[in-house]
Amino acid sequence: MSGPPRSLWLLVLVLVAGAAWVLSPERAASQTIDERVREVAGRLMCPVCEGQTVAESNAELAEQMRALIRDRLQQGQTAEEIIAYFVSRYGESILAAPPRRGLSLIVWIGPFAALALAAAIAVATLRRWTRASPGSPAGVPRP
Amino acid sequence: MMADLGYLGVLASLVTSAYVTAAALAGARRGHASLVIGARRGVVAIALLLTLASAILVGSFIARDFSLKYVAENTNLSTPLAYRISGFWGSMDGSLLLWAWILSLYSAAVVLINRERHRRLMPYAIAVLMGVLAFFLLLLSSVSNPFARLPFPPSDGRYLNPLLEDPGMFIHPPVLYLGYVGITVPFAFAIAALITGEVGEAWTKSTRRWALASWYFLGMGLTIGGWWAYRVLGWGGYWGWDPVENSAFMPWLVMTAYLHSVMVQERRGMLSVWNLGLIIVAFGLSIFGTFLTRSGVVSSVHSFARSSIGPVFVIFLAVAMTGALGLLLARMNRLREHNYLESLLSREASFLFNNVVLTAAAATVFLGTTFPLLYEALKGVKIFIGPPYYNQVFVPIALLTLLVMGIGTHIPWGQESPGHLGRRLQVAALIALLGGVLLVVVGIRKPAALSGFVLSLFVAAITLNEFARGTAARRRLGEGVSRATVSLLRTNPQRYGGYIVHLGVLLMVVGITASSAFSRQVEMGLAPGEEAQIGRYRLTLKSVVPYRDSTRAGRAARIAVSNAGHPLGELRPAQALHLASRQPVTLVGLRSTLRDDLYIIFSGVIDGKARLRVLLNPLVFWIWVGAGVLTLGTLVAVLPERRRLVPERP
Repeated sequence: MSGPPRSLWLLVLVLVAGAAWVLSPERAASQTIDERVREVAGRLMCPVCEGQTVAESNAELAEQMRALIRDRLQQGQTAEEIIAYFVSRYGESILAAPPRRGLSLIVWIGPFAALALAAAIAVATLRRWTRASPGSPAGVPRP
Repeated sequence: MMADLGYLGVLASLVTSAYVTAAALAGARRGHASLVIGARRGVVAIALLLTLASAILVGSFIARDFSLKYVAENTNLSTPLAYRISGFWGSMDGSLLLWAWILSLYSAAVVLINRERHRRLMPYAIAVLMGVLAFFLLLLSSVSNPFARLPFPPSDGRYLNPLLEDPGMFIHPPVLYLGYVGITVPFAFAIAALITGEVGEAWTKSTRRWALASWYFLGMGLTIGGWWAYRVLGWGGYWGWDPVENSAFMPWLVMTAYLHSVMVQERRGMLSVWNLGLIIVAFGLSIFGTFLTRSGVVSSVHSFARSSIGPVFVIFLAVAMTGALGLLLARMNRLREHNYLESLLSREASFLFNNVVLTAAAATVFLGTTFPLLYEALKGVKIFIGPPYYNQVFVPIALLTLLVMGIGTHIPWGQESPGHLGRRLQVAALIALLGGVLLVVVGIRKPAALSGFVLSLFVAAITLNEFARGTAARRRLGEGVSRATVSLLRTNPQRYGGYIVHLGVLLMVVGITASSAFSRQVEMGLAPGEEAQIGRYRLTLKSVVPYRDSTRAGRAARIAVSNAGHPLGELRPAQALHLASRQPVTLVGLRSTLRDDLYIIFSGVIDGKARLRVLLNPLVFWIWVGAGVLTLGTLVAVLPERRRLVPERP
């Protein structure tokens, strides 16, 4: 096999160096309070908006909710406790993703189950095809 | 008067489309060539009629004819000329006219291009195209007539939504519609192929460019929509897994699967049933998407376009899907093909796995989009399925797609030995590994983001290696690098255009990964003269000043931006009221560079301090660059193939 040309290596080097330059190491530090606020707020839908999370919304209520999340995080509450508090006030329709239980379990498991099933069917089909005899009338093996 | 002419145009088109459908079917059944010729003329006539009707609607908008209900609801006296024109597709009735108009133009193009070709397929394809068109014309002439008159014309019109006053309004809806509507053409040929039993190469060959174009326009419509939302909606992102976004993303995913699996059919004469199924599903999703956008059944940032035509769409969708899939099932026996594969390790097999992951991705989006409707119907409770869900469920499947994309590129048609494939992949794997280590060293530790970068690197290395190998063969014949590249693209545009598209997708993946995993958001209150630091940027609030433009008024924060003491200019995010509609609008302060976007939202002044939400979104720019590369690749892929000078290497 022929090795890749030097230009390819150079390009990769540039790509890697570029990525390293862009994403500086300070980001490896443990999460800041801003990041934690955003993460919790991203799990809640803004109650007065159309399809926006609390993290994204510019509505006054969303801003107040973010401030409340910040206060509670600083008091030492966990993300789950804060989410539970908002659910107790607004109901589960405030969640940006449904809980993993009951009927909603379908959406969490469904895609992976479908993927596994589809892959199994594909493998079974391919195996059947490789066992078939060649000499396909329509088959044009190679140019 | 003119408007009545427009309505007449719609009515005449409806009658003609019904006639054309019947004539084309009868002509094909009984072999009357004259009926088919009449049908073809009818198709062209409808295109002219609907062009006239559309021109009249635009004219009514320009002339501010408020006696038309649709015009009065979408413009007022203060609307500038440009946005009076785009008012055409500002809400439902006009959007449906745009749909019908585009379909009529596409249909006319199909008829003119295939005058001498596909004598058996064409009448049925025409019948399907005109049948679909007739449905839209039926809506336009009854429940959503854009030419309907008001009994008492108001002196001024109503303002719909100030967010629609943006250059994005000129490109996003039409481009998206070019994509949505475009799927109807391959669908029509697929149905024609099923009816005639000619399911071989003819229908896929004659619709390859149509499928590619509709796939491209859908993807580009989504990207432009994201770009628009990012600049204008002011929430800091470009994609929110909104049901309306999803509904255009699903057919895009299915069309992506089709564009790959159809190559197996063209090369080996296999998978024809599967390909027919994919096109039928893609068409169903395009109608479903139009319905979802226009019905208001889901809560969405697009819900300005509400109406009650939902049930009609559902009925049409149900009839079309039952008919098409029923036809596919009924013909299944006749479609038995001889399937034979040399090896599980082959390009053919890799395309099948590509289809597995892409359809699973589409199914995930479908489930996430429709499940809330089901849940509400069963339990009476509204739930949302938003970004946190897709981050956990869609992202792993997308990463798997990347892996298949990389490995598949290096597997030749026919068969491949595991040892040879391993040797071919090892360089790319090494590069990816090296890159991964480097990324971990510099502090990229989030698993999803790290996998995204490493896999992108892996696929990029493989793809570039394909180019290197391709040009190397030509350079040995004495061609220079640039000439070798050009002749590579010219002799096999489909393959290498596809690889360029892959590179564009990778750039988009890198931009999306970086900006979603490493975006930073800080909220602050600054008094004049106070400073704040985010990343390398130092922000200084200079003052809060009145803001005023031709349609909006409010306040703006003047923020001086500097980096390590070097002044970089001023950003002026503003909070304003759209005067005509009395709706608040957010004007983002955005400084975009190749490295990151500084994105500032100003929400008002509290206790003498300007409230600011500041985001630093890395690598967003590369999403738009990736879209450009993808465009380039698509253009290469539609080039006609030149005769091969050098035999292709397997």
